[in-house]
Amino acid sequence: MGQNDKNKMGIQGRHFIFILMAIVVAAPLIFRVGLPLRVTAEVRQVYGFLDRLPPHSAVIFSFDHETSTLPEMVPLAEALLRHCFRKNLKVFGMALLAEGAAVGDDNLRRIGSEYDKKYGEDYLFWGFRPQFTTAILALGERIDHEFPSDYTGQDIRSFPVMEGIENYKDIAAVITVGDGDIPVYWVNYAQARYGVKIIPAVTAVMATTMYPFLQSGQLVGLAAGLKGAAEYEMLIGKPGRAVKGMDAQSGAHIFVIILILVGNTVMIAGRRRKGR
Amino acid sequence: MIALCFAIFLLILPTAAIGGVRAFDTPDDGGNSITVVWDTEPLRASQAEYVRIEIQRRVVSGSGWDDLGKIPIDDSVYVDDNVENGVGYTYRLIFTDVSGGAIIVDSEPAKSSPQLFNSRRTNVLIGVLICIVVLGYYFYRGRKGGFFYVRPIAGLQAIDEAVGRATELGKPILYSAGRGSMQRVATIASMNVLSSVATKAAEYNTPLLFPNNDPVVAAVAQEVAYEAYVKAGHPDRYVAENIFYLTDSQFGYAAAVDGIMVRQRPATNLFMGSFEAESLILAETGNSIGAIQIAGTDSTIQLSFFIVACDYVLIGEEYFAASGYLAKDPLVLSSLKGQDMLKLILGILLILGAILVTAGGGELLSVLEIG
Amino acid sequence: MHRKLPLLICFALGTFMLVQFFVPHKASTALYEAILDWVQIIYAFSLLVGAMMLIKHHAVIASGRDAKERPFSILILMGITVMLVAGLFFGRGEGTVFHWLFQNVQAPMQATMFSLLSFFVASAAYRGFRARNSQAIFLLVAAIIVMLGRIPVGEIISSYIPKAADWILNVPSMAARRGIYIGIALGTIATSLRVILGIERTYLGGK
Repeated sequence: MGQNDKNKMGIQGRHFIFILMAIVVAAPLIFRVGLPLRVTAEVRQVYGFLDRLPPHSAVIFSFDHETSTLPEMVPLAEALLRHCFRKNLKVFGMALLAEGAAVGDDNLRRIGSEYDKKYGEDYLFWGFRPQFTTAILALGERIDHEFPSDYTGQDIRSFPVMEGIENYKDIAAVITVGDGDIPVYWVNYAQARYGVKIIPAVTAVMATTMYPFLQSGQLVGLAAGLKGAAEYEMLIGKPGRAVKGMDAQSGAHIFVIILILVGNTVMIAGRRRKGR
Repeated sequence: MIALCFAIFLLILPTAAIGGVRAFDTPDDGGNSITVVWDTEPLRASQAEYVRIEIQRRVVSGSGWDDLGKIPIDDSVYVDDNVENGVGYTYRLIFTDVSGGAIIVDSEPAKSSPQLFNSRRTNVLIGVLICIVVLGYYFYRGRKGGFFYVRPIAGLQAIDEAVGRATELGKPILYSAGRGSMQRVATIASMNVLSSVATKAAEYNTPLLFPNNDPVVAAVAQEVAYEAYVKAGHPDRYVAENIFYLTDSQFGYAAAVDGIMVRQRPATNLFMGSFEAESLILAETGNSIGAIQIAGTDSTIQLSFFIVACDYVLIGEEYFAASGYLAKDPLVLSSLKGQDMLKLILGILLILGAILVTAGGGELLSVLEIG
Repeated sequence: MHRKLPLLICFALGTFMLVQFFVPHKASTALYEAILDWVQIIYAFSLLVGAMMLIKHHAVIASGRDAKERPFSILILMGITVMLVAGLFFGRGEGTVFHWLFQNVQAPMQATMFSLLSFFVASAAYRGFRARNSQAIFLLVAAIIVMLGRIPVGEIISSYIPKAADWILNVPSMAARRGIYIGIALGTIATSLRVILGIERTYLGGK
């Protein structure tokens, strides 16, 4: 690896690329193309697993992201929550990053109300815990010890939905909606140590980090990025904002491919000039 | 009256071969738990259609039966997590068929006790012991003054050049440990690299800027850097304010570090630690200001971004080797040798495993499952 | 002594955390839970230290002469004050000033930073993916196939493109990744052991 050609692409060149990228992403959001979508096996695995769970099985939704990634995280969380509520599963929300707490609580209440679910009876939001490794490990011992009260400050044992829920033994799956490394920690600590099933719903940029765990059978499946959300929306039969966003993503990918080709053409032309 | 008749009816029923109920102390647990198992095969083979199983419990020295609840007909295991250690319990299963007929089967008494070793984790223990023995052996050799050769690592050799360049240009060095907390091994390794970088910065009298994502890391980094300046003989050149905590927000951190880069124009950027999606934002901004950039991380996905935007990248283990390499510490270098040996053992096991699976003996690999 | 005590604590707790993984006894579990509680409590205090460090750092710059940095430090101190006052005195629930600032200032600013990734990916791709040699050509072709395979257009061009993309991700890419993971895992084990045994002391601040 040597020195990069730092100054070959000037500021103007960089800004020109940035402007084109903005146009390529924005245009399909305004003028819809409606490209067909293929549902990948890993997303289908998530759907199949949740669909087969008996009613009232408990799932944890851990909102392990910040507000920066909301455009990717919210469609993923919404699609998965809709499926869980429709299947009458008990949903427990929590967050391992402070910003995820407000977003998670809002998601749960909003999607819960779509299905007439009641707070404390059908779902509950435990709140935020710092130091994610210790929090993940502590939930494996006693949930009410780690979260004595819910997000609103009430004793979690006072809610009927908590009946029979002690630790991971009573949890069918943990869905970690994450934009960083935290889903990996869920695998390393909750799956490897306590055997709990993990479903990562992660940003596209983090997807490849999860593939080794998917292949080793440590994950139920994987829903990644806007594409994962769009596929899940298709599976639950409720196309939403993720499906709409896929045209923009396609545009961005094609633009990057064109840039690679242009970059190489410029390089080859430059070599020829030098050769002369 | 009806209830009494039903109870008498239950009592006179023969305890048929159905059931095979067995109660025993739940293995590999912390106590207060008895497991009850029974054979469901006779239930299926029976002409009567069984619809319900009820379970009851009695203290051996006691008299009455306590109801524990109903069990789905297909289940064959019940774990009673509400028993006292050292007390004998007998379990009774009542299998009821569709016509209301029932069969009662009692278990032999069982006692619960806590275990001191989880035998299902024996495989992990063996793995841990192998690692400790191998690494311990090389630590011992390192302490005895053994010499360990480490191949030249371009990224680490370039650190000197990068610090020198910053000095020539009269610009600062920017150091980032990324998003990791102090408990991450990558952050610990980062502190080792920082120590070497700070020593050189002290010698050359070049400002070292270190914005942090974690308050604990910031405090440790201040200590590490100060020690390095003292070691270099220039404690007066140390500026505590240059090593500071910014925010624990991922993109807040990226924005702030980008701002510092654009305003202070460091000649050298060192990204050493755990990075997430902010890696490309930092590295591309550094690239745009023309800084020499060296990155080292254990975050595999971010390696690809750093490779595109940085001049040198320490990949995975190279990064962990950095501390021993830079400090020439024989104990750290010896652990690198130990890692190589462990890698060799793992490689052999991987090949054996692949042969085993290919030959159809894949089920033997279940010994690797963690209980 | 000021060095020996932390090393002793580290050795004792590190060894306990290793051993307790194999000991299911209630006493072991209780101590384990207590340690987990303490880690979280100590971390909460470290946030306080962080906040103080942040305020001190920017107060020094705001009152200093560096004209380039001063406006930003003043802005940070103002931001901290506004959010602190809003959160402490006017609540944090829906409809409060704190919530409004979170939703309408912090969230969009953070999303803006994240969205910069797409621009940087574009410029990095333009500069980085050059067919300089045969290896680089392999990398380039693989990148194009994966990018096409992850979007609907790939399927439209040919049904083989998504399959090829999956193969690249699941076979060659995975093989390389696993190799790096194994190396990292061994590095982690070795460093952890060095920390527990007190060989690695940098985390205490210097050697």
